[in-house]
Amino acid sequence: MWFGNKGNDNDVAVSTRVRIARNLSGYPFPGRLSAEQEKEICSKVAEIYKGKEWKINDLSKLSKAERESLADKHIISRELAEKEGMSEYISNKAGDVNIMLLEEDHVRIQAIEPGFNVKTAMEKAYKAEEILDKNAEIAYSEKYGYLTHCPTNLGTAIRISVMLHLPSYTRAGQIRELALQLAKLGLTIRGEDGEGSSASAYLYQISNQITLGVSEDEIVERIEKIIGQIIEGERSMHEKLAESSKSAIRESARRKYGMLMYSESISSKELTSYYSDLRLAAASGLIKLPVEKLDELMIRSKPYTIEAEHKNTSSPEERDRARAALVREIIGNAEI
Amino acid sequence: MLCEKCNKNEATFFYHENVNGQVRNYKLCADCANELQKNGELNIKDFTSSPFDSIGKFFANPFKSMDKLFSGVFGETPSLLSSISSGRPAAKCDCGMTLNDFLENGMAGCPSCYETFENDIEPTVKRIHGKTVHEGHSPARFREKNDLKKQIEKLEKERTDAVSSENYEKAAEIRDKINELKNQLKGE
Repeated sequence: MWFGNKGNDNDVAVSTRVRIARNLSGYPFPGRLSAEQEKEICSKVAEIYKGKEWKINDLSKLSKAERESLADKHIISRELAEKEGMSEYISNKAGDVNIMLLEEDHVRIQAIEPGFNVKTAMEKAYKAEEILDKNAEIAYSEKYGYLTHCPTNLGTAIRISVMLHLPSYTRAGQIRELALQLAKLGLTIRGEDGEGSSASAYLYQISNQITLGVSEDEIVERIEKIIGQIIEGERSMHEKLAESSKSAIRESARRKYGMLMYSESISSKELTSYYSDLRLAAASGLIKLPVEKLDELMIRSKPYTIEAEHKNTSSPEERDRARAALVREIIGNAEI
Repeated sequence: MLCEKCNKNEATFFYHENVNGQVRNYKLCADCANELQKNGELNIKDFTSSPFDSIGKFFANPFKSMDKLFSGVFGETPSLLSSISSGRPAAKCDCGMTLNDFLENGMAGCPSCYETFENDIEPTVKRIHGKTVHEGHSPARFREKNDLKKQIEKLEKERTDAVSSENYEKAAEIRDKINELKNQLKGE
């Protein structure tokens, strides 16, 4: 699993995802497929990814919490988790490449890496894509490139998304300016998962908006360059902050850590409100807490994931107690 | 199609917005779109009589969701914003999708829609991506074809050079090679 592991530029970057959309020639796009065609596509693709390296997962056999938890972990999209009827995804052994079937497009290949690592995510995703390309006729036109359900994905049909923790940009009121600058460069910024509540964790996803008329290499180059600059910007603000208010930040982070450690019950909202300050202090080296463990905690403490992974957690109160135990399990051993 | 506000002028401005699942669609003429913008309903900054002439402006400021972004609530980027420039909205793809539906929903029905409506949707594609021709990877079956095409182009050039330097024997040799490659291309 990608989370819980160290990655490049982890002090600011949480994860890097690459998603490639592909469709099979000769079929309508999802939503316009007959039940028979859906079945046909699933078995065709499953046949292509057979073998020890791959596993087919039938989402219809999972509970709602289990499906939503897969979306919490960015293994599948929220849309696929909530899709009715036939829904499957194929995963590799390591769990870092997942292939969604019958989401917005017939096939969506996703690779995810911890930290900021576009090259590795691209390599893994394209390795999986080559298997499909060799064994299926992929919808493509010389003019518009890879043909996708929505014209916003035409061309290369790739979306590279990097999740960043930007507390300093946010506090300095610079997200607006950042969004405007990024827009000019064909990139977008949004809150993690597109959910309103996430903004308080100061997590943002930056991804390429334009997919047609720019090659894969150009998209990678642009993302690497621009996000590299944002990471540098956030980092230099961390450093300034750490210099000017070192003891205040450390004191506040230690108190928060203490609260978390000795609580019997923690709500998702409360944990989220502590996450950003703890991560900032950890990233600035003011407390000894591995940032990747905090990121893991953020994912594994989401309501659906708690419900999917812990017994007797169907009520919010039960989940809050399980969350407090999870905090101690994941970051309890730190000598901050 | 007439503007749904004044019911008089042709609708040339199509607005699709999806903010956290709340969808709003407008089909408007330029005048009404301008008016709604002034009232703050569309909230497209940099709005002029030809609002989307620059891709930079298009993505810089256009959506209400962008404003919400600043208060910490994020919206989906609209999937497609289009103004029909085509005169054949009833044209139909084999899958049953009409051009009108395609542009209105912002989603194609099947991969062939892109061929059927190739020219009709070009302005829309340009507004989204700023460009209209793909660059980059292609499926293996196209890569072989492209390689052949490139080889033929190169040989054609060499043949012209051979002819202009009156090396007819060489030119004939190259011509045979070109024909061979062309047959291969046809056979694919």
